[in-house]
Amino acid sequence: MYATIMTEAKSTTGAMPERAEPAELIRRVAERRDKAALSALFVQFAPRIKSMMLRLGVDAAHAEDLAQEAMLSVWRKAHFYSPDKGAASTWIFTIARNLRIDAARRQSNRPYVDLEGIEVESEAPHGHALLEQSQIVARVSKALEVLPEEQREVVRLSFIKEMSQSEIAQRVGIPLGTVKSRLRLAYDRLRPLLEDLH
Amino acid sequence: MTIAFHPDIATLMAFSAGTLEEPYTVVVATHLAMCEACREQVKRTDLIGGALLASEPEAEMVPGALDRLLAAADSDDVAQPIIVPDTGVPAPIAHYLPRGLDGVRWRWSGPGVAVADLPSSSAAKGRLMLLRVEAGRKVPEHGHGGQELTLILQGAYRDRFGRFGAGDIADHDEDVEHQPIAEPGEDCICLVAVDAKLSFRSRLVRTLQPLFGL
Ligand SMILES: [Zn+2]
Repeated sequence: MYATIMTEAKSTTGAMPERAEPAELIRRVAERRDKAALSALFVQFAPRIKSMMLRLGVDAAHAEDLAQEAMLSVWRKAHFYSPDKGAASTWIFTIARNLRIDAARRQSNRPYVDLEGIEVESEAPHGHALLEQSQIVARVSKALEVLPEEQREVVRLSFIKEMSQSEIAQRVGIPLGTVKSRLRLAYDRLRPLLEDLH
Repeated sequence: MTIAFHPDIATLMAFSAGTLEEPYTVVVATHLAMCEACREQVKRTDLIGGALLASEPEAEMVPGALDRLLAAADSDDVAQPIIVPDTGVPAPIAHYLPRGLDGVRWRWSGPGVAVADLPSSSAAKGRLMLLRVEAGRKVPEHGHGGQELTLILQGAYRDRFGRFGAGDIADHDEDVEHQPIAEPGEDCICLVAVDAKLSFRSRLVRTLQPLFGL
């Protein structure tokens, strides 16, 4: 699932970054402040965060900065991550998403405290076996692929084009209620596939 | 806490995607702090974003990007957990309300009804506020110019959809009209996000609308 060519991201000062499961790399950052692990995470995620930001219409310099900031947040917040809170790529996605929202608000402080740093007592059972990162990606991507085109469109426009539901309604030329019902239908189909992944 | 009413799944997907307007985001985050079931839902909807990120193609980073990160990591400390003072309100809105719900500066907004605006950033579309309805009081029947998200923080109200108590969220579309009645006993206090002026149905109330500040 990941590209195999990594020469671009080789640090001039360090060794070639290694490949490992992101959850394991984050654990090494948290426990040992392991820079090799941080480098490996950078190789896997920074170029993808930048790509996602570019797709969202962010300019190249800002997209680069957001990717940098997201990876620095991973370094600073690694000890908040635990695999039973979700897949590593999901956690990194939420960090990048929140940074982009903050930047868009042009404000130094978030108007609300994100749940990420707050321990919320969970009643859900923990400790279920986690699938490998690559399996999660494959499962969800496949789930998205099998959605009917009209449902996949509203999901992609929401997540990748960063369009609000009313913007999607305008763009696709359907009522807001239809956008919502398509999202609901899409979720109903995705849910069984997402059920044991997080 | 038994929660009967949750945000529409489409609202939670927008929250995950980061496409929900700021005032709604605050209301959803506050509900999440109170609702285990929706935290589980959002884990699933976040997963869509995570999978899309992981399957993104790789953009080229500028030369030296990794060295820049490693240098920044040298001088950067680990993030401390956010300590939220316990003032009896959910963590996501705690810093708006340093003295809890008792310390809110209410503005009269009609008989038995008071509001208090909460600040949003200048980029925010829509409005975030607290609404207090006196115990036993009826709110004039109204429709909505746009989406309205109402989270009950204290007390309870009833309308044609049922009984909404603490933690419950009313996720109403533009076409919905309703007439909430606060339950007797305790004032009902809600966190509300609206994206347009509410449109009150009766002409008398409509004339008063600017006064109500709703
Ligand atoms: Zn809920």
